[in-house]
Amino acid sequence: MRKIFPAEELARDARFIRQTNEQRLSDPRGPRVAGGNASEQLAKLTPGLPNGPDRARALMHGIFVGEIQALEGAGRTCWDFEVGEDVPFALKLDMARQCWDESRHCEISVALAEHMGTELGEFAENGLLYEASCNPDPVLRLTGVNRALEGLAIDVFNTMKEFGNLAGDPVLEFCEDWMLADEVTHVKMGSDWLRRLTENDKERLEKALEFQKVVDRLFSFNGFRGEDDDSPIQLTRRFRELAGFTDDEIDEIADMSREAKAEAPS
Amino acid sequence: MTNTKRPREPFAPWDRRTLPGLFDVDETAERVGHYKWVETKLFEALGGWVATVPELDVKLRLGTHCYHHAWHADLFDKRLPELREMKTDRLTVPANDQLVAFFDAMTEPEDATMTIEKLVGVYRVLIPYKIAAYTYHRNATSEITDMPTVRILDFILQDEFNDWREGEMLIQSMIETEEEIDRAMNHQLKLEKLMLAAGGVAGPGSIGDPYVEMPEEN
Repeated sequence: MRKIFPAEELARDARFIRQTNEQRLSDPRGPRVAGGNASEQLAKLTPGLPNGPDRARALMHGIFVGEIQALEGAGRTCWDFEVGEDVPFALKLDMARQCWDESRHCEISVALAEHMGTELGEFAENGLLYEASCNPDPVLRLTGVNRALEGLAIDVFNTMKEFGNLAGDPVLEFCEDWMLADEVTHVKMGSDWLRRLTENDKERLEKALEFQKVVDRLFSFNGFRGEDDDSPIQLTRRFRELAGFTDDEIDEIADMSREAKAEAPS
Repeated sequence: MTNTKRPREPFAPWDRRTLPGLFDVDETAERVGHYKWVETKLFEALGGWVATVPELDVKLRLGTHCYHHAWHADLFDKRLPELREMKTDRLTVPANDQLVAFFDAMTEPEDATMTIEKLVGVYRVLIPYKIAAYTYHRNATSEITDMPTVRILDFILQDEFNDWREGEMLIQSMIETEEEIDRAMNHQLKLEKLMLAAGGVAGPGSIGDPYVEMPEEN
């Protein structure tokens, strides 16, 4: 088995349809596609919106395929690097633990998708998340995945938990809260390892944080995730703080989202 | 009133544990180091394979089992300093080169069409050999002086049996044709030969030697 497994070759059964980010953003059906992020659809995800339930279904399917890729990414970090100074044994143990957590998240989210009336494969899959976990530098990989993407997962799960509460769906609310607890753990793992592995290497720390920004920016398009009332996914300060983010770092993500929203085509 | 002065034996009548065991401290550390190497290589492989298997249920089981074996590696790693090995990496080594060759062959399948081979290597070859070696160690070591290792092995064996059963059921559910039986058996045969050359997960003597040396006949 090779080291570094390309995103294009991720193994899937016939139900899954892969779509690039460019394909998704240039889809002429844009706003008509549930869960799309064209500017006219920008609004906080609530059950009261006309397209709220459909957007929630699309988001849940997105969570499911995201969890598969997160599982695959954590698994590859177990395999791609040898234990050594750069990748301590304990880091690999954390990644194996994350594999188990992400496997459970796949089970939870596929069951929730079904619960919400969604069929597997009803929405396309985008490989962006796994691509971030192909970085050959373990520190950059960990920062991109565990701080940027798992950080986004904190925001998404909290939004879905609130959606479940507002919709009077205790199953959804209950499950999202459990997954949220795991994600805070994963982000904290990323924060802790980033600090430990770059303790004496400021240049590498900066490089890793820059990579995190690149990944964060990718998921802030059109202000998709932010602190404004109309952001579809709400940035969650409290849980990010628990996971090792500083106030400045959270402010930066909020600013990034505002900038992305201002730049979005009207 | 209970008579607190009435003497009782230190070992209850049903407690038949004895002091002697087959392994001294150094031998135990050496074996535990080999086990840790095996568990580490296994969890790394299971993690790596997750992205390569298209079958959803298999993908999720591999992700789950990956952590089980990482936890085993961690338990063995924590036991080593208690066996006077402070630099745990020093003993985290394969039993011999033949075992390295076994792992190279076991982790070779990558293609999405080779899930059967991936599962057979782990669940029909490696895990049964691990269960055998761990059981031998568990039963042969002193249940008093080396109880911490026994306790670790008991937890691990419980996982191993569960994972073995799940893996075997996945294999049976994947095999639908005679050709697939041949594929499974051929791969198993190849890996069994490599494991035979290695002498088991801890090298020769992994499960002891049941043959008694007989005096030569005149």
